[in-house]
Amino acid sequence: MSAETAHTTRPDMIVCENVDKWFGDFQALKGVTATIAEQEVVVVLGPSGSGKSTWIRCINRLEAHEKGTIVVDGVELTNDLRNIEKIRSEVGMVFQQFNLFPHITVLDNVTLAPKWVRKMPKAEAENKAKELLEMVGIPEQASKYPGQLSGGQQQRVAIARALAMEPRIMLFDEPTSALDPEMIKEVLDVMRDLALGGMTMMVVTHEMGFAREVADRIFFLESGEIVEEGTPEHFFTNPTEDRTKLFLSQIL
Amino acid sequence: MIQETPPQNYHHQKPPFYRDAIVVKWLFQLGALALVVFSLWFLASQARDNLAARDISTGFDFLSVDPGINLSEGIDTRPATGGRALWVGMVNTIRLATAGILAATILGLLVGLARLSNNWVVNKLGSVFVETLRNIPLLVQIILYGAILANLGDLSYDSGWDNWVIWSNKGLSIPRVFIADGFYQWAIFMLIGSVAARWAYKSRQRQHDETGRDTYPWIASLGVLGAFAVIGWFIHPIFGWVGGIFGAIGDGISKIPEEVLQAALSIIAVLLAGNWIRNFLRSRRTPGGSAQLTDDDKFRVIFSGVSAGLVIVVVYVVWPGLSSWMINSSSDLFGVLDDKFGNGRSGGPFGADRPEVIKTGMFEKYGPSGLTMSIGFAAVFFGVVFYTAAFIAEIVRGGILAVPKGQIEAANSLGMKRSAALRTVILPQALRVMMPPLGNQYLNLTKNTSLAIAVGFSDLVQVGQTVGNQTGKNLSVFAIWMLFYLACSLTISVVVNFFNVRLRIVER
Repeated sequence: MSAETAHTTRPDMIVCENVDKWFGDFQALKGVTATIAEQEVVVVLGPSGSGKSTWIRCINRLEAHEKGTIVVDGVELTNDLRNIEKIRSEVGMVFQQFNLFPHITVLDNVTLAPKWVRKMPKAEAENKAKELLEMVGIPEQASKYPGQLSGGQQQRVAIARALAMEPRIMLFDEPTSALDPEMIKEVLDVMRDLALGGMTMMVVTHEMGFAREVADRIFFLESGEIVEEGTPEHFFTNPTEDRTKLFLSQIL
Repeated sequence: MIQETPPQNYHHQKPPFYRDAIVVKWLFQLGALALVVFSLWFLASQARDNLAARDISTGFDFLSVDPGINLSEGIDTRPATGGRALWVGMVNTIRLATAGILAATILGLLVGLARLSNNWVVNKLGSVFVETLRNIPLLVQIILYGAILANLGDLSYDSGWDNWVIWSNKGLSIPRVFIADGFYQWAIFMLIGSVAARWAYKSRQRQHDETGRDTYPWIASLGVLGAFAVIGWFIHPIFGWVGGIFGAIGDGISKIPEEVLQAALSIIAVLLAGNWIRNFLRSRRTPGGSAQLTDDDKFRVIFSGVSAGLVIVVVYVVWPGLSSWMINSSSDLFGVLDDKFGNGRSGGPFGADRPEVIKTGMFEKYGPSGLTMSIGFAAVFFGVVFYTAAFIAEIVRGGILAVPKGQIEAANSLGMKRSAALRTVILPQALRVMMPPLGNQYLNLTKNTSLAIAVGFSDLVQVGQTVGNQTGKNLSVFAIWMLFYLACSLTISVVVNFFNVRLRIVER
């Protein structure tokens, strides 16, 4: 499925127009404009400090943007608390440092939000959690605490926890950067399955293999600007911008 | 050229004793013990000689002698013995410390949250509170509050509020609530009520788990308990027959022969010790067979065996009357319960006496009927509460800030409301960090109440000093002070440690 068909046949899920964001005097995002369609998988690349994480964190308002508009699934992100809660419960997020809740078991980690936000019955939430843990390949770890799992297992629990809210969009903020090399694959496999299942995904990563194989479209950011965007073929084989070429020459 | 020597039998070479780890360990232990025993003996003999030379007497006879003092407030203002006087002081200290810990915790929590607030005014108020109060010495604060409160009006017959609440520069007096005749029968109602409330809680919780709806189990169970309390207030005499049961039990116990109880106590001691040793050895067992017991383990096993033997010796030899004392006193206890729960008691469970003003000689003062807190109590109370709350506020702030930012972001990204995230994610982790320093503050508060002497509040130190001056047994009073504060501190430590263990996070 190419990006062009995705654009034309599916409704827009995330629309960013001229998004600006400052941290003090430092401008982290400069007029970022992009549209992501339903079921599309986009990978955001760029050198560190280029604003990739800031952008993705603006999508569920962990950071508030200062100018421009962001519309997620037809709801505009403003200071309206009700909108923010609505969007957050439909947008799942996976962090670089996992951010599992260390004081409760894996099963409780996964069922906490469905019970408190969706008011889901306990048995139903637990059944769903067990299905999700099965899906990410660690059903036997349900009664352990996060501190007892390996990094790769923790990150897969984090994915299950986000999926338990039945999100329409999943955001991944460098999900494999804190992992040992042999654990990266088990997390990427789960993400690949998710993408094949039709989830709308926005992934910040340094895993070029994953980007090339799974992404529908790649955004390249530098200094808070989108320098280049396109399909993986275009991006890896025939980049137009000099800065993109320089970046690729350094990492490939 | 280096010649290779074949390994010889060095495994079996015994090192000289000063290099043998086991021998050295024992020598050091015994040496340390000897040093401690010698130091204690030296200090004790020095103290004894010096005290004798200066004609200072020790001993605890004064505890049962009339000290001839009046106390400004407490459960007994004219104690008949020295022991009773010190007990009044202890109760006053415990009252002050308990009320102080509760109030300082609540105030400290609020101020700590205020310092984390995004609201500029609230935030700065919190900062001013903390930075001012924790930097003024506690003694200065106590004297200051005492001086301010002394400016309240003089006590007269129309002070305060229609004999419900009376305040003046002699303190605050409020109605005294006391346990009345019907209390024990009503308590049976409350016992049944708490079982019912627990059932209500569980069933509402189950309902919540099944449907996901908010069912407010706490409110439901408190409602049930309240309903029992109100209904029981009026119809509690229906439980008058319970007294008869206690009476029958008491009669039954008094008929137990002494020898049977002696034998039973011995058997229980042996069984308990045997059971403990068996479980202990089992816990040391590994899949590969019994693990090597350390010296410590051996001591534990020997100790529990010896204590079982000790029980038997006590029961039969040291204190043969123990069994008959146990029989008699428990029979008496049930006799008392027979009376308390019996049919004869039919009044309400509680009563209350309103405060009053009486005149002795020239001066008005509070009568004994109300519950009176003196200016001294208030000054020390506000002193320790404000001072400790300032420190607790910093502990609360630190505990919440110690929860990684990612935890809040994770809860937010799951769509959880601020209140839900605070309750389920942030507070459980912050409490874990807060608990040990919080325990320290509780210990400090309790010990700081001894500054009450500055404003003449009758706490244990003030009473002890007066008793010591009257009787000359200052050393004995010192010993009692130390034991009392040690007991308080250990009690607080046990409670705090209990919560520490419960809040611990499981790691690999």
